[in-house]
Amino acid sequence: MKKFLHASILIVAASPLFAQIPRTADGKPDLSGIWQALNTANVDLQDHAAQKGAPAGQSVVEGNEIPYQPWARAKKKDNYANRATLDPENKCYLPGVPRVTYIGLPFQIFQRVDLVTVLYEHAHANRYIYTNGTPHPKGPIEWWMGDSRGHWEGDTLVVDNVHFNDQTWFDHAGNFHSEDLHVVERYSLLDRDHIDYRVTIEDPKVFTRPWNIDMVLYRHVEKNFQLLEYECYGFDLEQYYP
Amino acid sequence: MRFNSALLVTALCGAAMIGSAAEADKSAWPQHTPDGQPNVEGFWLTVVYGMGCLQNPRAGVGCLEEGEEPGRGTPDKPRPKPPKAASRIVDPPDGEIPYQPWARTKQQYLLSNYFEPTKPEFLDPQQLCLPLGPVRQLTWHDVHILQYPGYVIFEHEGGHVFRVIPLDGRPHVGANIKLWMGDSRGHWEGTTLVVDVTNNNSKGRLSRAGDFASDQLHVTERFEFQDADHMQYRAVFDDPSTYTRPWTFGFDMKRAIFGAENPTKDDAHYEQWEEACYEGMQPVDYSLRPERGGDNK
Repeated sequence: MKKFLHASILIVAASPLFAQIPRTADGKPDLSGIWQALNTANVDLQDHAAQKGAPAGQSVVEGNEIPYQPWARAKKKDNYANRATLDPENKCYLPGVPRVTYIGLPFQIFQRVDLVTVLYEHAHANRYIYTNGTPHPKGPIEWWMGDSRGHWEGDTLVVDNVHFNDQTWFDHAGNFHSEDLHVVERYSLLDRDHIDYRVTIEDPKVFTRPWNIDMVLYRHVEKNFQLLEYECYGFDLEQYYP
Repeated sequence: MRFNSALLVTALCGAAMIGSAAEADKSAWPQHTPDGQPNVEGFWLTVVYGMGCLQNPRAGVGCLEEGEEPGRGTPDKPRPKPPKAASRIVDPPDGEIPYQPWARTKQQYLLSNYFEPTKPEFLDPQQLCLPLGPVRQLTWHDVHILQYPGYVIFEHEGGHVFRVIPLDGRPHVGANIKLWMGDSRGHWEGTTLVVDVTNNNSKGRLSRAGDFASDQLHVTERFEFQDADHMQYRAVFDDPSTYTRPWTFGFDMKRAIFGAENPTKDDAHYEQWEEACYEGMQPVDYSLRPERGGDNK
């Protein structure tokens, strides 16, 4: 019996509910820190084999299926075939949400009661996620990074994003959306150093139903780790400004 | 000179900013953040807005020139000549950057090719929406200062560029890492934020007059907050490879409350919205093509 009890305690302590997570003064999970996705979602959200310069990777799409409408599935295929030239990342445009999260570079979260600020190494992208109860500004607005308003549901930061343009892709494989994109991100600390990042993507112009991606974000724990810069030159800058 | 539409719109937004005293109890200044920093959070703006030139800035955009016309207006109601502001070079006393002779020649060369660029390298990186560098960025649009335990962060509206300034005394990154916005380390001396900036790639120029530094540049900034709404900015430029002596870039900044004509308390809820400058860029060679009809002037 004693042995059994010990085992139970271990199981409980290892579950997310009882994991020790940092908290802010107001009791919310504290997401402050420098984070990075460690996966190949930027190559392709779905299962994919290795290609030159792009390692293989397992799907981050729940069920691995992206529910395109028929016309959109054809366009995605065309995007994929021409991805080397069409991927907006090649032009170094702001990558949109959620792609900025898993584009492959670290980002830093600064958190307070009424605002979560996220600064990304990629192209100096930044986001203001207002958690002060304010609504999205009245549209129509088309921004590269959309407009972000957040709130807490228990220990999960839920971020509602609208007002996107139709110029960004979700990955290098040509997965795309329209300006009607609606993105809901859920940030949940699993423990001090891991965030479960679950995203619901909705776009009635392009998809037949909402779909989800899910991945883990990892905290950088290296001493003195900091954001650097990736200005992501869309032209041959080094040639002109050596 | 050519602006893309994003630049123009944001320049107009910048011009619409109205500096005004915040609703703050001056006698209680400074308040402190939970980790003990003087609380200077909010939106700040240069008093003399613009980055046209350093020696003869004017209240508006550009340089004040001898015999300058009043500018746009009607014949019976010309727009008044903008007042001349103090040189942004506060040391040496002559208000000139103490360039070494070769560097003065280069600055003049860059200036003489500024408005009709014939080669890509004559294009000010600012015209390509690239970061301006830590000092010049403060002269363009507003900066949102936010403070967190161990950090001050600057979020610049212009081109969504930011700086993260750690206050924990950590060493700078390795000397071979060169950065558009430099590598910043800060500490507070009373109500003055002192920031040591190294690792500058110095690809951004200092003005639209060809002024420049090298990647050996070391900047020491002093943000001297005088009360809740006013700050004096001083940046000592030390670069023995380019200048004959250290010199000081300086200007005044004020708390900015945004609004049309009558700022209200609601302006405190101002939000920086996306300024995706780079995304509107034409390819570099577009800016050089003669068939564009000279609208790059």
